[in-house]
Formats: sequence, C-alpha cells, structure tokens
Amino acid sequence: MAIKTLKISPLGRVEGDLDVRVDIEDGHVVNAWTHAEMFRGFEVILRGKDAKAGLIVTPRACGICGASHLTCAAWALDTAWQTEVPRNAILARNLGQLVETIQSQPRAFYGIYATDLTNKKYEHSPFYEEACRRFTLYKGTSFEQGVTISAKPLEIYALLGGQWPHSSYMVPGGVMSAPKLTDITKAWSILEYFRKNWLEPTWLGCSLERYEEIQTYDDFLAWLDESPAHSNSDLGFYWRMGLDIGLDKYGAGPGKYMSWGYLPHEDKYQWPTIEGRSKATIMKGGIYNSFTDTHSEMDQSFVRESTARAWYDEPLNDIHPFDRTTKPSTNVAKDYEGAYSWSTAVKHQDLGRLEVSPLARQLIAGGRHGEDWQHYDGFILDAFKKLGGASVHLRTLARMHEAVKLYRQAEHCLREFRLQDPWYIEPEAKDGQGWGATEAARGALSHWLKVKDGKIANYQIIAPTTWNVGPRDGEGNRGPIEQAFIGTPVEDSSNPVELGHVARSFDSCLVCTVHAHDAQTGSELARFRTA
Amino acid sequence: MANVLWLQGGTCSGDTMSFLNAEEPTACDLISDFGINLLWHPSLGMEMGEELKQLLQDCVSGKIPVDIFVFEGTVINAPNGTGEWNRFADRPMKKWVEELAAIANFVVAVGACASWGGIPAMEPNPSESQGLQYTKKKAGGFLGADFRSLAGLPVINIPGCPAHPDWISQVLVAVATGRVSEIELDKYHRPKAFYNTFTQTGCTRNLNFTYRASAIEFGQPNSDCLFYDLGCRGPMTHSSCNTLLWNRVSSKTRAGAPCIGCTEPAFPFHELKPGTVFKTPTVMGVPKELPPGVKPKDYALLTMVAKGITPEWVEED
Repeated sequence: MAIKTLKISPLGRVEGDLDVRVDIEDGHVVNAWTHAEMFRGFEVILRGKDAKAGLIVTPRACGICGASHLTCAAWALDTAWQTEVPRNAILARNLGQLVETIQSQPRAFYGIYATDLTNKKYEHSPFYEEACRRFTLYKGTSFEQGVTISAKPLEIYALLGGQWPHSSYMVPGGVMSAPKLTDITKAWSILEYFRKNWLEPTWLGCSLERYEEIQTYDDFLAWLDESPAHSNSDLGFYWRMGLDIGLDKYGAGPGKYMSWGYLPHEDKYQWPTIEGRSKATIMKGGIYNSFTDTHSEMDQSFVRESTARAWYDEPLNDIHPFDRTTKPSTNVAKDYEGAYSWSTAVKHQDLGRLEVSPLARQLIAGGRHGEDWQHYDGFILDAFKKLGGASVHLRTLARMHEAVKLYRQAEHCLREFRLQDPWYIEPEAKDGQGWGATEAARGALSHWLKVKDGKIANYQIIAPTTWNVGPRDGEGNRGPIEQAFIGTPVEDSSNPVELGHVARSFDSCLVCTVHAHDAQTGSELARFRTA
Repeated sequence: MANVLWLQGGTCSGDTMSFLNAEEPTACDLISDFGINLLWHPSLGMEMGEELKQLLQDCVSGKIPVDIFVFEGTVINAPNGTGEWNRFADRPMKKWVEELAAIANFVVAVGACASWGGIPAMEPNPSESQGLQYTKKKAGGFLGADFRSLAGLPVINIPGCPAHPDWISQVLVAVATGRVSEIELDKYHRPKAFYNTFTQTGCTRNLNFTYRASAIEFGQPNSDCLFYDLGCRGPMTHSSCNTLLWNRVSSKTRAGAPCIGCTEPAFPFHELKPGTVFKTPTVMGVPKELPPGVKPKDYALLTMVAKGITPEWVEED
C-alpha cells in the first residue's frame, strides 16, 4: 500500500501556529512531524532587563497560562534571592494557580475539544444527535454554559491580583495584595456558584462527595451505571460516546510521563530552594515509566534541550536550560531531514522524551513514591492499566478528573488564610540562580533564571507545549505528539478528524484550521477542521 | 448584521482569553443576539483549512464584505522584513494583514501588541514586531500613518495588555448597531469612551493618594497609594479599569498591584531596564513623572499641605 502524505497547515496553538505532516499507510499514520510556526523571542527580550522583569513579561508568553508563568517567575526569583515567603502568600499563589486551571477545564473541553464530536464522521453513532445538541459551537447547550461559566473562577483571581489575564501580583517575598474577609467570603460564593451551576449538575450529575468515592476504573464504571444522572451527565455521556467511537484506541504517545508537582505546601516551602521543592509540593511530581511500571523522582538537573532539529543557531549537542543561548535562525525553511520547528526537543538525560499533561500528573499521583503526606490518587493509573495504556480518551478523562480535586484544594486555600498574618516579607535582591516550576493546566512548566549585577543574565522557559510538541531530537527520536500520531487511524483523508482529537487531547489551547494537500499532486484533499 | 474577521499575529492570545470572560453580552450572546457574524476566529471559527483560505480570499476579493477586521498581536516582520517567523497557512501573516486591512470597512487593533507592539516590540525587538498603525509612540507602524480603512477611519486601537472585554465588545456592538460615527478617537486612535479618563479614576486608594499616604511595600492591608513608591502609573494612564472593573470584581490597583500603564503606547515603560520595575523613579523625593498638568513646584506644596492635614484614620484605612 502506498504511503500518502498529508500536510496540515496550520494547526494553530496559542504560542503560534502549528503545522503537521503525517504519512499514512493502510489507513493509519506511520510517520509524523510537527512544526511550531511563530517566534517572538521572550528569552532574548529578557536578557539584561530588571531582575523582576519576568514577573511582567512571562505571563504574557501565554494568555491562557499566565498565572502559571507568574507562579514560575515568582518562585524562580524567590530561590535566586533566598527569600522567606509567608504562608498566606503561598496559599494566595496556589489559589491563583488553581482557579486558572479550573477555568481552563471547561474552556478546553467545550471550546477546543468536544466540538469535534459533532464531526460528520460520527453521524452514524447513536450518540451523534445528542452530541450535536450539547457540543455544537456557540449553540450547544453545554458549550454555551461551559464557556460562559469558565469566566467565573477567574473572578477569584481578580480578587487576589486585580485581573485575569495578566496580573503580576505574585512577587518575590510574597504577594502584592492583602485580601480581606470580604474577599475570602466572596471567593467562597464564587466557588459555590461554579459547583452548583456546572460542576455538579452538568459535568458530574452527582455531588462532589459521590464522585470522590471513585478509586478505581471499576468504581468509575459502577458509578456510570448507578444512575441516569451519572451516565447522562456531560462526563458520563462523553465517556460512553468516546468508547463507542473508539477514542480509547489511539493517541498513546511516548509512554513515559513527567510532572514537576505543584502547589507548594503553605507550611513546608517558606524558605524556598531549588533542591527542596519536590518534597514540599502537595501534588507530587516525578516520573512514571509505563514500560517498567515504575515511578521515580524528577529533578530540574535532568532536563536537556536539543536544538538539533529546530530553527536555532546553537550547538547541536543536548544542553541544560541554564546553558541555552537562544539564537534564532534566519533560515526557517521546513527541512524534514534537518530543522523544522521553533520548538526545541526537550528530554530527560537518561529517559529521553517524556509526555507532560494532566494524564502525566494523574499517572504520577498513582505512585507510592514521594512523601507520605503528599497527594495520592490511583484512579487514572488503574484505568490506564485496565484500558491497556494511554489514549485520546484517557488523556481527556485525566484532565477533567482533576476538576474535583482542584476544587477541594481551592477550598483548602480559603480555609487556611490567616487574615492577621503577613502576605509579604520584603526581600533583599541578590545575584544568583533560580528555578521556578508549576503545573499549568496543560502540563509541566518551569523557568530557569540567572541574575547577575541585578540584571537578568539568562532566562529560559520550558512550557508544556515545548515538551509535547517538540520535533525530533539529535538521535532522531520523535516528540511526544509526533509519537502520539503514530498508529492513529485516518478513516477518510479528506476528513482526518482523528488527528485533531490527538492534538486536542494535549490541550493545544486554540481551535485551529487544518489544510491537507496530496504531497504528490498538490491537489486539495480536504476541507475539514480539527476542533 | 456585521461581518467580523479576527486574526492573530505575534500574540499570547490574552485578548481573546479576556474577551471570553465577557458578560452582558457574553461572547456567545454577542454572536447570537447582537448581529455579530464572526466570519472566523482562531479559537472559535468553524471554517478551516482550504475552506478558511477560500474565505480569506473571498474577503480579499470583496465577495464577502468585511465590516470589521480585528487583529490581535504584533505584525512580525522578522527575519529581515520577510515575516517568515510568523507563518499562517504557509504564508507570512503580514501579507494577510496587508490585504485584509485594505478591504475592511473598519480595522480594529485589539490589545497593546496590535496597537503599538507591546512586549514583543521591546528592545531588542527580535521579531521585528510592529503595531498596526504605531510602533510605540511613533505613528506609522505596519500600515502607515496615512492608512484609512474603507469607512475613512484610521485603525481603531483598543490597547491594554490585555484589553478589557467590554472595551472590545462595546466597540463591536457600536459598529454592529450603526453607531460607529459616535465613536470619538483620541490622539492615539483610542475610543474616548473608554480611554478619556485615568486609571486612577475610581481607584479605592484615591483618598490616600490625596493625603500622600504611600505604600512603601507590598502586601499591606490598608489602602495606601501605590504611586509614590511602588511605581503605579494610575494617575498617568488612560483607561477605565477602575470604573468598569476587571472580571466584574476588582482592578490591579484595588488589589494592591501597581498599574503598569499597559494602555499607553510606551508600555512597557522604560523597557523594564534595571531599577524601573515596581519602583517610582524620583529626584529629591519627587517622582520624575507627575500626574499630567501638575508642576513639580506645586507638587511639593501640595505634598506639604497634604501631609500636614492628614487625618489619623488615613493610616488605618
């Protein structure tokens, strides 16, 4: 069977436009290349600027994950300056991070992902008509409700930082604000509104407490069968439809997963250090290797970046982010044998390419590594094993599974604020090296910072999308999304919605266009969308 | 009914994210109830791939009239003026911008980046970014100072990093309901309705500004003013942040975060050079930049008087 090449341009995402090339044989993808197509050069801009400039600049790297960038920027300065951060400030930063992610869950599911379920490919599915009723762009009952209510959690962010997106309220030594009792009570009311108007009635079809009883995949299936309210909730409906249309059958990816862990505990990270972070986060980080079924620790020193196949004029060997120089190339032709992306290839020095995502976080949450008190949840790891590994469907379930537990963490922050205690301790500026990390909605994010003579000597960001969408590395290994495309069925090359599902399951942030050409004739093959 | 086409260049998508936070009308309401026909948007559009290219070409050829062309993000010209660092559908985005701006009745720059370059255009501006009709304070930008859209207007700038959702939706509604002639623009082509007062108008720290009760560090429970020491640009920045509020509940200055002047063409101020971030540059204790129209001599007098009459409760407030 001949190989057919589809070139898809663009498959956009928030940092710029993403193009994809896939080779298809016998109706399945056998090879794939991803191209990041926009470069602004924030690392270049930050060189020589005020040490605190990252607090203003980096949230603007991504309008969707701005709070996550701000979190990293603040902790990077804290570790570089060796500050003391009061517990109220840790809680206020965590709450900002949490509400951004809670916002992102419905926005990503309805706005970016679920509209694909109305694709004509599925018109013979018994679920199709209902999917259109719920998920159609603008008009779907759940689309409209979900996209609209996604703005609510951000009101809590505004109480803390004045506005979302793009506040800079997290600063070395704490936070700029000092919330009052009325801010806390208002935040409770907003959370409650979100729970009562979407999370419980629309998404779960049950109380948070009932959902929290689910510990295994069998528990989940039992919950699904327990009541029509469960099976017809958006979660129940989506899960059943996904199985019907085979979303559990493809989109696996590299099979190795990484998370930085996040939400530093308010009593355990008041004197932040790079080394001390992994033992101080409520949600533990680490690595899960599904080939050996083992969990292990992760450290920032294990990270390497390869620019061998990316548009940079830098050394070809793998280097640690602290040693990057970020020299963009003026030659940006797509060379499938050479450089073909603005994204670097990020890897673990020993384990190679790793997926970062809510799925990665949840597989790591199922490990018994880490500290006794850190968060443990075995549900998604159990489902992973029962279902035979990762897929588009499981990746999406993992993302939405986090909604309830993050809601609980937000409640924890509100309970733990002590209004008479400090929110900020004026730090002393110093030269040094810092590192800040968190988990954005889409996966692991971290900033590496070098301060010299009060100025930024080097600032390096590795975003979740950099991990996932990177091109091949120096050894020719595919990036995680490239790998996830392998084996994906493309039933109709004029409507390859399956490729959209794979890319969307990584939460690529923006709905996008896809344009396919027959590589041999150049004639148009497709008019379709991926999201 | 107004046809709206929304594209993105060198952007973080923050203006889109901000727009999705709108209420009354929500983004969905705007489309279903207010006669906005969103031809395409990177987050919301249905027409994709070749269909999208066809749609763009139909817009360029005049087959589909474009009432409003909204652009978010900078126009990227790198490397060496080619624009190849930001390709959209196998073509530099700047070429689409050039062609679409020429056929639209109105061109709207949403956000600081599209208005004047914003963060990407900061020194050393590696992406050779420009705003649509300004680069920083300099008129011109990508389209040129003399550019006028078909309706005879320059680019309507809705700056802010990001723009407030209401600033965006109200301008769209004004055009869709035929009231565009009532939109008056200021000297930087911003609608006066949203930008003719200062960010300070409505700030809950105004009494403390008046009595010169200054916040000298962050995280304080009182309402001390952020202008004197912490670099707040509220008195010099044109925006309605403290009258419309953000996310319906607050604003940066209300929450204790200094205004960084993101609706002004010089944003980010001082190029974020060392010593300029969250700090008020002063000469002999007098801020180098005073509220517009205030003379340094009068400022000194005012300060003296204010300090002398400050009621005790101000310290607590």
